[in-house]
Amino acid sequence: VSTARRAAVQPAGGQVEPDTVRLRRHAVATLLANWRGSSTVPTAALYPHQWSWDSAFVSVGWAHVSTRRAWQELRSLFGGQWRDGRLPHIVYNRSVPEDAYFPGPPFWRPLPPDGPSGGPTPGVATSGLVQPPVHALAALAIADRCPGGAAPDDVRHLYPRLAAYHDYLFECRVVRHGLIATVHPWETGRDNSPAWDDALAAVPADTDGVAAMRRDLRHSGRAHRPTDVDYARYVHIAATYRDRGYLDESLGSLPFCVVDPMFNALLVASELALAEVADRLEMTAHRHRERAHALSAAMQQHLFDSALGLFVSVDARRWRPRRVRTVGGLVPLLLPDLDGGQRRALLSTLVGPAFRVGSAIGRGVPSYDLTAPDLDVHRYWRGPSWVSTSWLVWRGLRQCGETELAALLSRSVVDLVARAGFREYFHPSTGEGLGARDFSWSAALVLDLLRARSAEEEARPR
Amino acid sequence: VSRWRIACQEQLLPGSTLLDKWTFAEKAGFDGIELRARGDFGFEARLPELREARAYAVSMPSECVEMSHFIGAFDEALRKDAVRQVASQISVMAAIGGEVAVTPAAYGMFSRRLPPFEPPRGPEDDRQVLLDSLGELGEHARAEGVAICLEPLNRYEDHMVNTLDAAAQLCRDLDLPSVRVAADTYHMNIEEADPAAALLGVSAWLGHVQLSDSNRLEPGAGHVDWALLLAALDAAHYDGWLALECRLSGPPEVALPAAVSRLRQASR
Repeated sequence: VSTARRAAVQPAGGQVEPDTVRLRRHAVATLLANWRGSSTVPTAALYPHQWSWDSAFVSVGWAHVSTRRAWQELRSLFGGQWRDGRLPHIVYNRSVPEDAYFPGPPFWRPLPPDGPSGGPTPGVATSGLVQPPVHALAALAIADRCPGGAAPDDVRHLYPRLAAYHDYLFECRVVRHGLIATVHPWETGRDNSPAWDDALAAVPADTDGVAAMRRDLRHSGRAHRPTDVDYARYVHIAATYRDRGYLDESLGSLPFCVVDPMFNALLVASELALAEVADRLEMTAHRHRERAHALSAAMQQHLFDSALGLFVSVDARRWRPRRVRTVGGLVPLLLPDLDGGQRRALLSTLVGPAFRVGSAIGRGVPSYDLTAPDLDVHRYWRGPSWVSTSWLVWRGLRQCGETELAALLSRSVVDLVARAGFREYFHPSTGEGLGARDFSWSAALVLDLLRARSAEEEARPR
Repeated sequence: VSRWRIACQEQLLPGSTLLDKWTFAEKAGFDGIELRARGDFGFEARLPELREARAYAVSMPSECVEMSHFIGAFDEALRKDAVRQVASQISVMAAIGGEVAVTPAAYGMFSRRLPPFEPPRGPEDDRQVLLDSLGELGEHARAEGVAICLEPLNRYEDHMVNTLDAAAQLCRDLDLPSVRVAADTYHMNIEEADPAAALLGVSAWLGHVQLSDSNRLEPGAGHVDWALLLAALDAAHYDGWLALECRLSGPPEVALPAAVSRLRQASR
């Protein structure tokens, strides 16, 4: 039996790191195992459907494996888009039992019918909420990986759908100063972040029956997940929105209405990515750039907290800022026209004791201030580091020209998964793996980090 | 970053001698030639030719049977002959420094999708026959330092072993490191719900890979996702050969270099 090995090609000026090769293979194997025929589940047991921002991140990873699959991932997600432009945060796999995940398809019913009232295509089961708009960023990343430039068919297919999603956000979710609101913590992607503790405190929490509904605790430790009180509030907020027919009129009268700096910063970045896509299709990109710059300016004027040195969320019902340091407040590093003073403040916060990025003990970007008295290092978005938000900060650093700090952050994230595997999240000090295993976006985005690293090594002069 | 070792079956290469074919193959970007092994000890009869080619450093890592009866034949005398032939082919490969011998369970003998639909032998007997044949060949291959690889064929060409997992199950039952699975992307396109996941699923037993597009033409002429398949092979830690077994969409001077180039691009 052959023992011959394929010859390893040495990249110019560097050496193949065996661990990197192993990690890359493991990442690809993780994505392959989580593929479900037309999209990727975040992880096999805990999340058996398609999630919106997960899919965007995952498609960035697929682009390094098969651009065909990357496009398919996004196209299948947009197959669940509503007529009103809303891109649902969950598109359900109808072959999975309806009670495998809570909330399942019945929770969201009745969805508005397809047509003028704006629901999904009949027969497609979705939620009625959205998630952070990272999809145009992902589409541009995939297009850049296609041999010979963008794949016009896929880009042409996705462009109007991406634009419709952004139109929905800019038109239906706008609150004061042109800022964009999220109407549920699930919409921020960071369900139990301390950034909305105040806004949530006013929401009724009827915990009767909540424990029985939850499916997440079958797969993950109670101390690592949102509490029953959190879940009771999530259910109340979602049910209220549903019972209003998912109408976005008078957003302030909903039980939850928050301006999240990460959501807004991602919309700016995605809107600019969409402008780039429009340019490539030789379509007019003007309105995308205009909206992006207006939103960016509003963020810098109204969401920056100079005393804390980062952006903060605002409870839009009472227009009250929530003055805590969370990773969401650092993602505006992605703003292309960020004020110099604000950028320096963000960088200083990032490397300071609250997040420790770039230091020898850095472990990705913690989701919450490491010096906060209510830091909870095991619980979901109340302390642990996540690959997704770390990757967004990494992109922000590169955008600012902070390549050295970006490289240190990239290395710390790669080290996290090299030690603990492609976990859902990680202890922000010890790096212990937490939550689900074989988590798709952890694998996908590490593929992107590794690719960027090897591209830099190849580009380095001998 | 890895460089795949890609071979081409000999009948696809222009030239009258193996050396001519090799000169063309190398220029087209191939790393080896996959030989076709006839019955009646026809392959053994080629030993002088093969030895001469080897002396000229022609790379011949693998061979694939080209016979009218196979190791899963219904007829016991034919089955025994097939085992004898394949054993001889394995020895020839050992003699010329080759690594892999490939055989299906059978080809063109029976299909459950075509009349009369019910084969004369049941699945349990099929399995026993294949275990007997592969067990004997596996011991011989181990002694010769060669791998015997069982290639699943699609449902219209064979009724016994259609999927990678079915082949791997026989490997698991035998548990001989010299008995492995040969994956052919053409048959996989028909039989595997998720070809990339299927490759990953048999990674422990994968010994050889044959490449053909969805339409039996060279890679790139159909709709197989080559980037995905090669990434899956890499993720499966596969470090063996990829051999083109297909027909060509045009003259070999055009089709073959283009196919190799597409495969190399797809694994960038």
